[in-house]
Amino acid sequence: MKKAILFLGALLVLPFTGSAQEIALKGKELFGDMNARHIGPALMSGRINDLEMHPNNTRIIYAGTAGGGVWKSVDGGATFSPIFDEHPQSIGVVTLDPKDPDNTIWVGTGETWTRNSVSIGDGLFRSTDGGSTWNEIPGFENSERIASVVINPNNTNEVYVGVLGALWSDSEDRGVYKTTDGGKTWNKILYIGPSTGAADVIMDPNNPNTLYASMWEFRRSGWGFASGGPTSALYKSTDGGANWNKIHNGFPPGDLGRIAVAVAPSDNNILYAVLETEDKAKNGLWKSTNSGQSWEHLNNDFGLVVRPFYFSRITVDPRDPNVIVKGGLNGSISRDGGKTFKDLGNMHSDIHDVTFHIKDSDIMYSGTDGGVYRSWNGGTTFEIVENLPLSQFYHISVDDAEPYNVYGGLQDNGSWYGPSSSPGGVNARDWNSVGFGDGFRVLKHPTKNIIYSEMQGAQNVWRYDADRHKTKTIQPLQQKGKAKLRWNWNAPMAVSHHAPDRFYMGSQFVHKSNDMGDSWEIISPDLTTNDPSKQNQQDSGGLSMDNSGAENHTTIFTIAESPLDENILWVGTDDGNVQVTKDGGKTWDNVTANLTGIPANTWVYHIEASVHGKGIAYAVFDGHTSGDFTPYALKTTDYGKTWTNIISEDVQAPAFVRNIQEDYENENLLFLGTEMGLYVTINGGKNWSQFTNNMPPVAVHFVDLQKQTNDVVMGTHGRGVIIIDDISPLRELSQEVLSKDVHFFTNETFTMKESSGFSGSFGAETQFVGRNKTTAARIIYYLKKRHTFGKMALEIQDMDGNRIITIPPGKSKGINVVTWGFFGERPKMAEGKTFAAGGFTSTRVPAGKYKVVLTKGKKTYEHIIETKYDDTSLTTLAERKEQEKYTMDMYNMVEDLAYTVHQLTETQKTAQMVMEKHPKGKKTAQKLYDALESLRGDLVITSGDNYVASAEPELRERMGTLYSNIASSYDRVTQDRKNNYVLISEEYTAEKARFQKIMEKEGKKFMSFLEKNDIPKPAIKSKEDFLVK
Amino acid sequence: MKTLKLLFVLCALVAFTPNTQAQTAEEIVDNFFENTGGMDAWKKIKSMKATGTASFGPQKFPFIMYTMVDGRMAAEVDLQGSKFIPQAFDGEKQWAMNFQTMEAEAADSEASQNYKANEAKDFPDPFLDYKSKGYTISYEGKETIEGTEAFKVKLTKNPIMVDGKEEAHSVMYYFDTENYVPIVSEEKITSGPQKGMVQQTLYSEYLEAGDIFYPYTFDVKMGGQVVQSINMTEVEFNADIDESIFVMPEKATPAEGTKN
Repeated sequence: MKKAILFLGALLVLPFTGSAQEIALKGKELFGDMNARHIGPALMSGRINDLEMHPNNTRIIYAGTAGGGVWKSVDGGATFSPIFDEHPQSIGVVTLDPKDPDNTIWVGTGETWTRNSVSIGDGLFRSTDGGSTWNEIPGFENSERIASVVINPNNTNEVYVGVLGALWSDSEDRGVYKTTDGGKTWNKILYIGPSTGAADVIMDPNNPNTLYASMWEFRRSGWGFASGGPTSALYKSTDGGANWNKIHNGFPPGDLGRIAVAVAPSDNNILYAVLETEDKAKNGLWKSTNSGQSWEHLNNDFGLVVRPFYFSRITVDPRDPNVIVKGGLNGSISRDGGKTFKDLGNMHSDIHDVTFHIKDSDIMYSGTDGGVYRSWNGGTTFEIVENLPLSQFYHISVDDAEPYNVYGGLQDNGSWYGPSSSPGGVNARDWNSVGFGDGFRVLKHPTKNIIYSEMQGAQNVWRYDADRHKTKTIQPLQQKGKAKLRWNWNAPMAVSHHAPDRFYMGSQFVHKSNDMGDSWEIISPDLTTNDPSKQNQQDSGGLSMDNSGAENHTTIFTIAESPLDENILWVGTDDGNVQVTKDGGKTWDNVTANLTGIPANTWVYHIEASVHGKGIAYAVFDGHTSGDFTPYALKTTDYGKTWTNIISEDVQAPAFVRNIQEDYENENLLFLGTEMGLYVTINGGKNWSQFTNNMPPVAVHFVDLQKQTNDVVMGTHGRGVIIIDDISPLRELSQEVLSKDVHFFTNETFTMKESSGFSGSFGAETQFVGRNKTTAARIIYYLKKRHTFGKMALEIQDMDGNRIITIPPGKSKGINVVTWGFFGERPKMAEGKTFAAGGFTSTRVPAGKYKVVLTKGKKTYEHIIETKYDDTSLTTLAERKEQEKYTMDMYNMVEDLAYTVHQLTETQKTAQMVMEKHPKGKKTAQKLYDALESLRGDLVITSGDNYVASAEPELRERMGTLYSNIASSYDRVTQDRKNNYVLISEEYTAEKARFQKIMEKEGKKFMSFLEKNDIPKPAIKSKEDFLVK
Repeated sequence: MKTLKLLFVLCALVAFTPNTQAQTAEEIVDNFFENTGGMDAWKKIKSMKATGTASFGPQKFPFIMYTMVDGRMAAEVDLQGSKFIPQAFDGEKQWAMNFQTMEAEAADSEASQNYKANEAKDFPDPFLDYKSKGYTISYEGKETIEGTEAFKVKLTKNPIMVDGKEEAHSVMYYFDTENYVPIVSEEKITSGPQKGMVQQTLYSEYLEAGDIFYPYTFDVKMGGQVVQSINMTEVEFNADIDESIFVMPEKATPAEGTKN
């Protein structure tokens, strides 16, 4: 029997090797509390699709944004907060339930202003708790973009949804849908055809059975846009959507395009519509005064007809049917029922939506390509909301400054660079403009303070001398006898890793300059398909011509120079070609035919030439402009002869891929920028995990890895720049690490940064401020399981095991990041009537090695870290050692005073008690008490408050101030401080002697009285106990 | 012995927790109380004296917190040897000491009313007899948080007044699916400069305190970063508490001739 038990015991302790299961942690399990930080910018904000006012609470406003989710203001539009960060960020419409507007919010995803760079939605969502949680409403999974949600105010289970639908392909998921059971079941009640969607659905304010639906025939491709056709029409139903009739009486014959429609809230007979027609003279504003029975044409000014696909919103003042506002390039307002208009006041151009305050028409809110604006005077003056970081980057890059800068270009908001960290956080004022128009790629010269930037279609490529503030345009121009150049809207540029002045650009050719763009050489043939059927941009737009250059096609889109060999260049084109040269452009291999699983002509969005081998490259492909949202990414190790798919089932449509970034050290660590956020693999693409810690599923257009810091920097198209600090722990993840209970990741030596200064926080009340990277030591460890039960503590100790400080540990499963600012404890201060500010200063540790000791239950895990002084320091090592000595001397003196005051206080307490309860000893006690009280008055402040009624500083305050001055300074201890030290230490020595004397004289008599009368002695702690922290 | 007991309870948790399929909020909450000592033990708690340290980055403050089942509470912080009370509730009003004058001042009446309607009912646990408090609960599905699979239970509390307007008030709790204890709660900040932002509270270091298991550490996170960490070293239930601590002290009368 005993043997059997032993055997069983042996079985239990034997390692289980039968079927060693691979630990495959995903997403939040793996990333633990690694968090992304957002640095904006918000100063130019980003595109707004839809504004929604709460019907009876003037404080609440919602903004549905083009690429940055839904934001809610609870302070009347002064500030906004994001409330939709776990869901698709491209928003079509936000609608509140008229009966339950505090809680029930509907969000239709998918932007409806269908420009070339528009993102996609992914369904219909509803919150019933004011936006805290969301549920997807089944039935709209393929809706792509939802324009309207309209709710019957008398029966809020009756909801109409207008689905605009797919932009780049046919789709039957379009038209008007209705539910009568609060969203459980839906019927499609108006469907025209696979290319015609609902651009707007509105309800008569007095009669919920009367509906108007504007249906729009539209289509975009990679090389063109068409608005309008025979199926575009304005419909009316008077029976809750059962039957629909066209209401075109008065409209011109022929095809129609996008139609805006609005009904006056204060007079439901009055309708306004904005038409796009075949007859230019009949475009613009139409009005009906009989609920759509007939129409009259009123106005075709520029503001009313401009770019209907982009501006198709009319808002009628809720109190005055003659005051109407139309979105547009500048936005227009009429106060005479639409006969005449003037522009709205200055604000960012491209106005997509305007709303009126629910009680005061002087107050208006405007949603633009550059954020939300407020007007207090009926639309003449507008001011921007300053905390909406919705910037839409097409591209970003980083430099090697400290802190590094992030460079990038924005949709309709120019080109910029700004610091990744800044005193007080990354503010609006930290960002610098380096280009106007639409901005795209912005690259820093590798060695000079020169920045390259561009605007749409390479109309201008700037070389900006940031030191001398000189700008030069350097874009390659057509040369005699050569072909006309075709530039993408977002034209590629690249700087060389090998020759700092070398600069590349791509039209249909690769252009190379060895003198920073002063002269150019074409080093390739036309690398595109040069398909003439995709080169008719002058015909783009449909009924309204729209030749902005946004549809330029058959162009080079990405250029990647090998970091290992200057002669290896990779090129990807928007029409699906992958080309590579190994001889600096003399010969090119078109390796497109070798691609596997990529549909022909799929846009090559990015190629990453690897640092891990000359023949290694990654290519990502984006088919969304042909309606294909499949994620595609391939890897080659042989210059493109063969390719391997590196997308696993973890990445699903519609997360189509725009970018990939490899790690510079671990070939298997890759970062994937998709339309639905960031994915990470630690095994070369066998599995991917979505990174969701403070990272919404926003479109990630570009990912870069900053080499010195190992920070992943993302240019998102709707939430600005998002950074994941130091991803190096991901390099270390292996099966061995994942199977350990606790694993500390390797740290490089931490530099104890010495910088101080002033940031000012003016405006921060309402402005977005981006979070800084910590300058503290980041202690990073992996926990196999969350620590929920039992004690867990983290201590920093010196190498002899003496505790320096205790830090609250992270306890998450996965990766934990804990910071230590190189501080020790604060000194214990003597008790006084008020606080001594100096007592809030902690000591700083000297450079050297330290132990990180993690205690988890009974187990202890140790890790050694090392710190070093800042190279930019002002002091010599000897001066610093002197400063450290002075600091500790002062620290000890401050604590010694605290202990003296403790002894004094406890003695006084006993004396007080004797005075009250032992008349015989009263005189002796009183003498002692008075002598000590007099001493106390010289040691610490005994009156006043912490503000302007403060007393004159006593020894404690002056000692604390000197301690703090020395401990927190980044410079040597000056003679002035040393003199003050002598003064204070001498004074303290004298006061201590005074204390001693009192205790020897008055104290001795008192103690003898206590002893004789069996009265307990003062409750004085030992110094060690007193100083326990 | 204590460790042994803890080990035993942990084993029991793993062994006896019911199937995690088809949960209701009620079942989750019941399991939580059952696994941490039983509803009866929780209901016996009438007061708590907790001693610990509050950390704000490198700054640490030792505190003692006194809480009564009737909602009264006071937190007492040792600031350079002085007793500073940054938060207290006397049953009707919230009060706190002004940092400049070190004297007690009442919070605005809205804050007191909101506290009385909600937080004052939350000791020893907001889910205990939640119905009698006017709260409701609902199961909101599973989610991974703190790297750990959790049940989401929404606790809808009593409405609060925010700057004169009534607002709904709810807190989302995440219960570890393995042992049913809350590991995280989330709520929106409703007033002040951070209004609209979501605040997370992480619960850990569940330890035996009296007859129950109680989280000794609360970490408060905003935007993914820990902004405050409360670590208790000693928790005493049904302790003798000098109830005068809850009473808001009168302001000192200025001495004659003192300037305002």
